[in-house]
Amino acid sequence: MTKRTKAKGVEKMTNRKPAVMGLAIIFMLALFLGNAWAANPVRIGFLQADIHQLSCWVALEKGFYKEQGLDVKVAGIFKAGPEEMSAFAAGELDMGYVGEAPATTAVANGAARVQVLAQVNTEGSAIMVGKDAKIAKVSELANKSVAVPGHSTVQDFLVRKSLEQNKVPADKVKIIVVKPPEMIGALRTNQIDAFIAWEPYPAKAQTMGVGKVLVTSAHIWPGHPCCVLVVDDKFLKARPADAMKMVAAHVKATNFINQHPKEALKIGVKYTGMDPDTVRLAMHNVNYTYKISVEGEREYVSLLARQGFIKIKDVDAFVAHFLNGKILEAVLGK
Amino acid sequence: MGLELKGLTKTFPAQGNGDEVEVLSGFNLKLDHGRFLSLVGPSGCGKTTLLRIIAGLEPASRGEVLLDGAPLRPSTTETGLVFQQYALFPWRTALQNIEMGLQFKGVDVEQRRREAMEYVEAFGLMGFEHRYPKDLSGGMQQRVAIARTLIMQPKLVLMDEPFGSLDSQTRNNMQEFLLGIWEKRRDTIIFVTHNVDEAVFLSEEVLVLSRRPARILAKFPVEAPRPRDRTSAENNQLRKVVLDVLRSEGPPPPV
Amino acid sequence: MRMGRYLVPLAFLIVWQGIASSGIIPEYKLPSPAAVMAAFGELIMTGMPPGHKLPSHLLMSLYRVALGFFIAAAVAVPLGILMGWSRRLQYLISPLVEMVRPVPPLAWIPLSILWFGIGIKSAAFIIFLGAFFPMLLNTIAGVQSIPKILLEAARTLGADQGNLLMKVLLPGALPSIFLGLRIGLGIGWMTLVAAEFTGVKSGYGLGYMIMTARDIQRSDEIIAGMVVIGLTGLLIDALIRKAEAKLLPWQ
Repeated sequence: MTKRTKAKGVEKMTNRKPAVMGLAIIFMLALFLGNAWAANPVRIGFLQADIHQLSCWVALEKGFYKEQGLDVKVAGIFKAGPEEMSAFAAGELDMGYVGEAPATTAVANGAARVQVLAQVNTEGSAIMVGKDAKIAKVSELANKSVAVPGHSTVQDFLVRKSLEQNKVPADKVKIIVVKPPEMIGALRTNQIDAFIAWEPYPAKAQTMGVGKVLVTSAHIWPGHPCCVLVVDDKFLKARPADAMKMVAAHVKATNFINQHPKEALKIGVKYTGMDPDTVRLAMHNVNYTYKISVEGEREYVSLLARQGFIKIKDVDAFVAHFLNGKILEAVLGK
Repeated sequence: MGLELKGLTKTFPAQGNGDEVEVLSGFNLKLDHGRFLSLVGPSGCGKTTLLRIIAGLEPASRGEVLLDGAPLRPSTTETGLVFQQYALFPWRTALQNIEMGLQFKGVDVEQRRREAMEYVEAFGLMGFEHRYPKDLSGGMQQRVAIARTLIMQPKLVLMDEPFGSLDSQTRNNMQEFLLGIWEKRRDTIIFVTHNVDEAVFLSEEVLVLSRRPARILAKFPVEAPRPRDRTSAENNQLRKVVLDVLRSEGPPPPV
Repeated sequence: MRMGRYLVPLAFLIVWQGIASSGIIPEYKLPSPAAVMAAFGELIMTGMPPGHKLPSHLLMSLYRVALGFFIAAAVAVPLGILMGWSRRLQYLISPLVEMVRPVPPLAWIPLSILWFGIGIKSAAFIIFLGAFFPMLLNTIAGVQSIPKILLEAARTLGADQGNLLMKVLLPGALPSIFLGLRIGLGIGWMTLVAAEFTGVKSGYGLGYMIMTARDIQRSDEIIAGMVVIGLTGLLIDALIRKAEAKLLPWQ
């Protein structure tokens, strides 16, 4: 920008350019420094109203990420695991709290490249039937309809495993996909005979007087791993230190839940939007832990392959790469 | 007894910025059965409106239309109307168009088929009866239209410039065709046309109408013997006279 | 000249295969035509979800669309004829129609689930909404485009109101009605995948198949499913055109 002033018939140019450029540079420096000081944001995702992932919410609310010097941005809240994995595939997330089964499927089918850095919880789902339903055993689900949050989710897996255990052929049962928020309504209006979802939906069905527990996931498969904390391979390669900080925050949050359940409950109520009684009931069914279960993952891979959802030739190699316990070891070692 | 028009008046309501348009004002006419009458007149004088009122498509503002002493009802098959644009139903074959009125009447399939085929033959449409209007020439289409009207045996046949869309050669042929039909059947026909030659060639009587509101300016009986000769001196003489009357009316007012 | 028609799709396939083979775009984002073909085979032999094979999905979807389509036609065509005929009726009903029409069928999904549950009625309803409006509007236009002179000619031939309706308005509007049916079916078929999002109790449906493929991140099967939908839509349209040529020989 130049401003021309006429002085005594001679054009004089007052040059404003340097001033403007100087201001711009200072401004950009400030932004850059500010950002660098706060660190590049870590984009995370989690599942909507999934009480399994309480540690994420605790870490957010109690500032455990900030403590580590991380700027965490919630880049997505998903209705079910497969959707979160699609976001990973599109490069939208750096780390995420997600079901182990959909994560396994996505990696096995080459869609996403993630690794498991820590467990988030074990158990914590239940097959619910209508309050007045005449179904008392899993074997009585034959010729009935069961809703799952999506194909190849942990819950889908659990239903099939339960059917296997009770010698009910999977094709005798109508397994249909319904998003968890809609499951309770569908059960209430008898459009489905049963549903399986992560807590707190089973709890809510109970407190609403709509459904009762047929079997909890702990009974189907004691100690089964459920949600995991995964990291995008690219992010892990580029920022291993930040990945470790995330795991550290997660460990702290998990310990917090087990030591201060009442406070954790409040945070759970805030993020699920459900009443305290429901959330309390839900939390009872969930086991919060960060220990990675290798056997559990092997079981997932086997069943998913048996169902035809994935094709894995070398299960051990897959599991060895998929589960990355090194970072957790390092964090716990400190 | 025939047709009687008594004090027929038609006023169209004002459109846009204009005034009411009075198209007919106390029009009177008497026509015996079996007569062939032509109406000629300047554009916009009301001759088409007149036909439409008689056909029952429009109500008169005042006045009466009587056929054999009784008032005519709309949608009656006692009158038939042949349009300049043929108005054939494009989704029906020639044969199906012809039998349409009979179908409305409730005549059963076989009978109306038979009757329609008679007209197909009489009107020189053999071989074309299963064609759709889009595949027929202008002259053929009009023949179908006329057959469709005449098959109903209306007491009064109204024709509104039926040959106006045809080229002059076809037009001449159609005129001769019409006369041939009429001479056998002796329907009562009111034939509206711009074309003085046509009127003089076809009719027994030519009525010249004024600018709107239409009045009968002159009546010319046509006594030339049949079959008519277009080029005869009498023919030319009469044409000249009619044209003079028309010209004296001056150019039509802007519409 | 018939070969010329296939030139562009062929070129498209070659370019697609080229891009996929070069590896610029990762396999799962853009599966190659070859991968899609293989996936197509899998969908037929194994099915997705496993055990639910493609032909069954296709039949179920066709059934749903047919249901929504026929109900839409049964309502739209008579209503359209009446609205085309009676200016007053059109005046009364049009505002409501014009307000509902811009709402995409997908926006109705939550209500649809509430009203009809998660079964075929819900999906048929969404498809109905997609198909209904083009059918209605084209029928009205068809009736209104009939030259007045044809109605007058019919009246001079002694037609009563019933005759006018059945023997003049209906056949006269038929070409436009057919156009509306074709467009309506096209849109209905297009809304299929979204409609099947409302839930498929039976576990069968092309949209459901694609959703499942998506759940397990099989882009190749997703695209194969899309190709099936596209080809089927093309076929159905061609069939209707054939029927039209037979039924409307005067066009």
